[in-house]
Parts: sequence; structure tokens; C-alpha cells
Amino acid sequence: MAAIVRLSAVCRRGVKPLFYQTTLLARPLVIPHKHQEQPYMLTARIHASQALYAASGSKAASLHWTAERMLSILLLAMGPVAYFNPSPVIDYSLAAALTLHGHWGIGQVVTDYVHGDAKIKMANAGLFLLSTVTFAGLCYFNYNDVGICKAIGLLWSK
Amino acid sequence: MALLLRTLARQGVSVTRPQYSVLYRHAAPMGTTAKEEMNKFWSKNARLNRPMSPHLTIYKWSVPMMMSVTHRGTGVGLSGAISAFALAALVLPGNYPYYLDLIHSLSIGPFLIGLAKFGITFPVSYHTYNGIRHLWWDIGKGFKIPEVYRTGYTVIGLSIITSIALAAI
Repeated sequence: MAAIVRLSAVCRRGVKPLFYQTTLLARPLVIPHKHQEQPYMLTARIHASQALYAASGSKAASLHWTAERMLSILLLAMGPVAYFNPSPVIDYSLAAALTLHGHWGIGQVVTDYVHGDAKIKMANAGLFLLSTVTFAGLCYFNYNDVGICKAIGLLWSK
Repeated sequence: MALLLRTLARQGVSVTRPQYSVLYRHAAPMGTTAKEEMNKFWSKNARLNRPMSPHLTIYKWSVPMMMSVTHRGTGVGLSGAISAFALAALVLPGNYPYYLDLIHSLSIGPFLIGLAKFGITFPVSYHTYNGIRHLWWDIGKGFKIPEVYRTGYTVIGLSIITSIALAAI
């Protein structure tokens, strides 16, 4: 009997996931006397969030979250580089990183305050347009004018 | 014994195949996504013309709350400024040094120039330092209330010092 319990608990997912189970909809079971020392295995069997997984399998939102943080860290690193090593490369990288960071940031603001499918679509379309124009403008500035790093330098040497 | 075997066997089946209806004998199945639920909630509110609970007007303002608002405010402000700058670059005739000389020629006093520089450096400093604080939270650290306040005051202090120092250069 102990063998049945073990096998059915570890099959399909292996042993490791047992230790990371969430028990969102877990219910206390009549725990057989012999297996009281292994409560984690029984709650593993009532692992309800697997169904939530099955309902919407997209990791898009969580990947977006991670990408936002990665970009933030990248932007932080660009600061000192721009100060010590100004160059066209860093100018264009800064243009891209700043625009994207701002685009995703305002995107979160839209998500927080705009409700209703049509309004959300409109707001995001407007934001996309704004971000595109912003990036175009910054690239134009980098190409036809002094560039971002030089511009800040000139502003401060006033 | 037979009851035990039946219970165990049934659960063994449920785990290996997606027949989750068996598992939900005592629990409500969640078949909708969070987005669907949120949309249903909002359209119901709109349909019933429900008034919104007062929030900004009644809650006692706290340092973390104000810092969060300021983080968002500086973010939106900086983003708007960058977009305005980019638009100006596309639309206005003349190049950057031209407009810089134009501002020069207005002979604005050093105090006002310093103030204008502070108006740029403070939002950048604050948003940067508080951004680092946010990343600290994102790796799961610093959530205890005393820590929130400590890191918060550090951000405020560093922002003021950095922005004054940069504006004074």
C-alpha cells in the first residue's frame, strides 16, 4: 500500500515538484495512519493549480515582467557607460532603452487606470504611436544633431 | 482497507490524467481567466452605476504611499519630457546648439538656471534611486515595514543630495 501511494504521487512529475507544491484548493484528507509522516505527498495529489495552468498556458505576462526588470537593470548600467564612454553606439542604445522603458512604464499606467476593452485598445494604440515617434525623434537627433550624450554634456557646460 | 485503496487509486488516476473534475468534489473549479473576471467586474460596476469607494480623499497619507505616487509621477513626467524633446527634434528647424545659444542669450540668472537644472536632476535621481529600491523588492528583499521606511528615507535623502550636487556643477 505504501508503494501505491509513492508511485502515484511521483509519477508524471517526478519527486522534486512535490516539494514546491502550492495548495491553493487543498482540502484535508482522511490521512491513513501509516502515511501521516508524509503529509506533503497527499497535498501533492490535490494540486489544484495544475488546472489553472491548463486553462491558460501562456507565460507571456510573467516573461514581460522579467523583461521589464532586465531592461531596467540594463538602463542603470548604461548611465556610467554614457558618462565615461560617450559614443554613437551608446547614443542609439540609450535611445532604444529609454523609449522602451518609458513605453512599458506608461503601459502599466494604462493598465492600471484605463478600463473597458475599447478604451484599452485606443490607449495602447496611442501609446504605441507616441513611443514610435519618440524613438524616431531620438534617432533623428542622434543622426542629424549632436546626439544624446553630447546634448547632456552641452547642457551642463552652460 | 477497500475504501483506502479506492481513495488512493482514484487520486492516482486524477494526477496522471487531466480529469480534474474528480478533484473538485469539494472545491469550486476556476474555469475563467483573471482577465475575464476583471472585465466582468468592471462592466458590472458600470452597468449598476456603482459609486467608487473614496480612496485618495480619505486614507491617511503615508511615506511609502507618497513615494510610490512620486515614482509614478516622475516616470510619467520624464517620459513626457523625452517624448516632447524627440518631437521637438523632428519638428523644429535649427539644431540643438542653436537653441542652447538662444537660451544663453536670454541671460537668465544663475539661480534660475540652477533651479531649472534641479528640475531635471531631481526627477531623474529620485526615479533612479527608487527604481533600485523597486528592484530590491523584486528579488524579494526589504518588505518588512521598518525596512520599507528605512530604504524609503535613504532614497529621498540620496535623491536630494545627488540632484543638488548635479545642479550645482
